[in-house]
Amino acid sequence: MRTIAAAPAGSRTYDLNFARWVYQNVDGGDRLSLCMQCGMCSGSCPIGTAMDHGPRKLFMMIRAGMKEAVLTSDTIWNCTQCYNCVVRCPRQIPVTNILQGLATVAVREGYAPEQPTAKFAKAFWFSVKHFGRTDERLVTAFFYFSFGLVEGIKRGLANLPIALRMIKAGRMHLGAPHRAKGAADLRAIIAKAEEIEKRERAQGAQQ
Amino acid sequence: MSEPKKYTYYPGCSSQASATHLDQSLRAVAPKLGIELEEIDDWNCCGASVGHVEGGTLPQTALSGRNLAKARKQGTSDVLTACAACYLNTHGVNEKIKNDVRTRKRVNESLGAVDLNYEGDLNVRHACEVLVNDVGLEKIKGQVKNPLTGLKVAGYVGCQTVRPFAATDTGGNYDTYDQPEFLDNFVKACGAEAVEYDPKTSCCGGSVSVYSPDKTLHLIKKIVQAAVDAGADVIATPCPLCQQNVEMYQSAINKEFGTNFNIPVVFYSQLMAVAFGMDAKKDAALDQNMIKPLKLVEMARKTAG
Ligand code: SF4
Ligand code: SF4
Repeated sequence: MRTIAAAPAGSRTYDLNFARWVYQNVDGGDRLSLCMQCGMCSGSCPIGTAMDHGPRKLFMMIRAGMKEAVLTSDTIWNCTQCYNCVVRCPRQIPVTNILQGLATVAVREGYAPEQPTAKFAKAFWFSVKHFGRTDERLVTAFFYFSFGLVEGIKRGLANLPIALRMIKAGRMHLGAPHRAKGAADLRAIIAKAEEIEKRERAQGAQQ
Repeated sequence: MSEPKKYTYYPGCSSQASATHLDQSLRAVAPKLGIELEEIDDWNCCGASVGHVEGGTLPQTALSGRNLAKARKQGTSDVLTACAACYLNTHGVNEKIKNDVRTRKRVNESLGAVDLNYEGDLNVRHACEVLVNDVGLEKIKGQVKNPLTGLKVAGYVGCQTVRPFAATDTGGNYDTYDQPEFLDNFVKACGAEAVEYDPKTSCCGGSVSVYSPDKTLHLIKKIVQAAVDAGADVIATPCPLCQQNVEMYQSAINKEFGTNFNIPVVFYSQLMAVAFGMDAKKDAALDQNMIKPLKLVEMARKTAG
């Protein structure tokens, strides 16, 4: 059984517990200590120019305990999950998975309220949870309107030509959302998984 | 023909929406290639590339856990999926359940809420890997009745179909990460010409393109430009999200960069359906491409009726 370090306090800028906490709580984070800062990941990244730090620097910042700067970094949000870095990292560090894990933590701890990715993720998860499947129309509408009514309508209209072409091509259906018959079962499974994660976090905080 | 091999099929959400033409054409060509597809009963979403953000790591993992538990109830056949993201998640979770006791325990505690259980004794495989390793190019060639002679195809593989599993043992070791050859081989097996095409595994921006295309249009531009420069008639891809992004955003790219792109983006399975002499609409689903692959439609017409 692995031990879980206490969740670091958000108030300090340099939180040296943070590195240990990431190693132990972020999926794949246990390999992070092997990072030799070679930069292969950032150098291979197709969207590096749209990232404030890139993975290499972000990992250095984790070690330096810069919790706030890490969890508000757009590097974790602009990752397209192309897995270039993962297959090239000489230390077999699951870079993409670590960025995913950081995204989860950032949302849970309230660091990313205005991120488009986070908003999209919220809309997406709503569809999964309620229908067991994702309905693109629902996700898109939910996402657009998360920016507010006016912006939602604007974005919707901007994409109307694409939507109409999709409908015409038979790739966007017009009926009720697709759903899994076992959507209620799936919700029960998700609820249990959430409960397990909560329980583990509480156990971690006690130690 | 030898006995067909049975696979448990996971179509994924895109099969009912943006990538109906992948699902339809794959189901059409499968029996010709000795592949029998039995759909997972009442499958659910795999969580794609964002489920973990709002849902959390374990709930995201449990989504695939349920699909795998349902698949296992139907037998021990390999699970097959044609969607890159579905494969990434389902294969990844399956390997984790196999190899990591803690994950197995936690997933099964979650599944226990509805009396499901899964111990990790299935294999999850990508349709392209199955085509390479189980079916083989010879069998594909053997089905070609309407060779796509003269059709120039840019084979765009994308990321997640090959990364990070194509060159691993559990991923079937079927190709490389940077210069995969399987797609060009499919194209050539269909009698078409695979043009010299460099950005085979360049990134289309994935789901970031769906909600923040402003950040990724230049990536898609590169993918389309190289195909046009190579004189391709169509771009072929195995990935639902690649197909959608590369097709859907051409007009936005034209607006932003003053280009004049209008090149069709099709799935390899649509090429196969036409090459196998099957119906343009019912089997190859060519009516579902937003940018019409006119040359391919014309070729399909040759053998119709
Ligand atoms: S490629 Fe790997 S070892 Fe090199 S900086 Fe990136 S994560 Fe660290
Ligand atoms: S997976 Fe993300 S961080 Fe890694 S190279 Fe691709 S976009 Fe960059």
